[in-house]
Amino acid sequence: MTYADWLREDRLPHIYCAGCGNGTVINCTLNALDRMGWKKEETIFVSGIGCSSRAPGYIVTDSLHTTHGRALAFATGIKMANPALHVVVFTGDGDLAAIGGNHFIHACRRNIDLTVVCMNNQIYGMTGGQGSPTTPRGALSTTTPYGSQEPAFDLCELASAAGANFVSRWTSYHVKELTRAVHTGFETPGFSFIEALVQCPTNYGRRNKFRNVMDQIEYFKTHGILLQKVKRLREEGKPIPDDAIVLGDFVQRNRAAMGVRR
Amino acid sequence: MRLVIDERRCKGCNLCTMVCPYRIFKPGTKPNARGIVVPELDRPERCANCRLQALYGRTLCGMCQMICPDQAIRWEEEKPGEATKVAIEF
Repeated sequence: MTYADWLREDRLPHIYCAGCGNGTVINCTLNALDRMGWKKEETIFVSGIGCSSRAPGYIVTDSLHTTHGRALAFATGIKMANPALHVVVFTGDGDLAAIGGNHFIHACRRNIDLTVVCMNNQIYGMTGGQGSPTTPRGALSTTTPYGSQEPAFDLCELASAAGANFVSRWTSYHVKELTRAVHTGFETPGFSFIEALVQCPTNYGRRNKFRNVMDQIEYFKTHGILLQKVKRLREEGKPIPDDAIVLGDFVQRNRAAMGVRR
Repeated sequence: MRLVIDERRCKGCNLCTMVCPYRIFKPGTKPNARGIVVPELDRPERCANCRLQALYGRTLCGMCQMICPDQAIRWEEEKPGEATKVAIEF
């Protein structure tokens, strides 16, 4: 089997804009899923509202397209009702960090056996480019026309502090690493959170000097910095660049998890 | 194996031209029937995956397929009797 067997061929091509990174994250997730060897009947995809949350519609397994921000609440329900199912949640940054923020930290606290793949495009893409909690400082959007003045959420640090078992961040450029991270997330019992930074050429890139899709990918490539290197720089007392995107596995631990069959 | 771009799915974002280590993908020049400029293949027989996938029994590089947001890139088995071209770069 390959990842193509998990796609709903009749629904493709999907509605994402040309160059949208969400499709890449779907590829990586399905590749990791393929390595796990799970059955299609035992896997469920849950999503909220947004660009990223259209993804389960293109996957052949059972899926739930739920209310805005409440994907984790529905996923908790599925897992509690039948712990034998493998539940994967696709969400976006506006879905998870803004309206679903409370569900997110409590799902981390309870450490439910879910895998959450957050496609973070740093903006509300579907509704026309409003600023989201993860829009970096100084970035332009329709609601921050003079540059965002607020500091952005670091979702990985948030998940680590709230108690998730596996936390990782990669971008849509680092496809092999992202696949490995999602695979580790599937294997880990308990809450696994994988943040994938994706490019949004239509609503983010166009306003922030990434006119081509490749410019933003190039930005991820040049500004991505490994967590190990950040730790080393800190030990040596050297400065870390402000615009660096810290990548890597933040946390891998074995807290008692909920919804795991013993 | 043969490298194929599915023209019905490709949206012309040219991400494949960026990641291919052999630079097999080139930005296209002519729009197709759907009005999308699909990348062109420059001597696709150089692709390591096409030559060695069957021998190793796994996908070797596959960066273009993984990064393609539209799931438009795949490898096809040649039909029996189809002429194949071989080019190996050292």
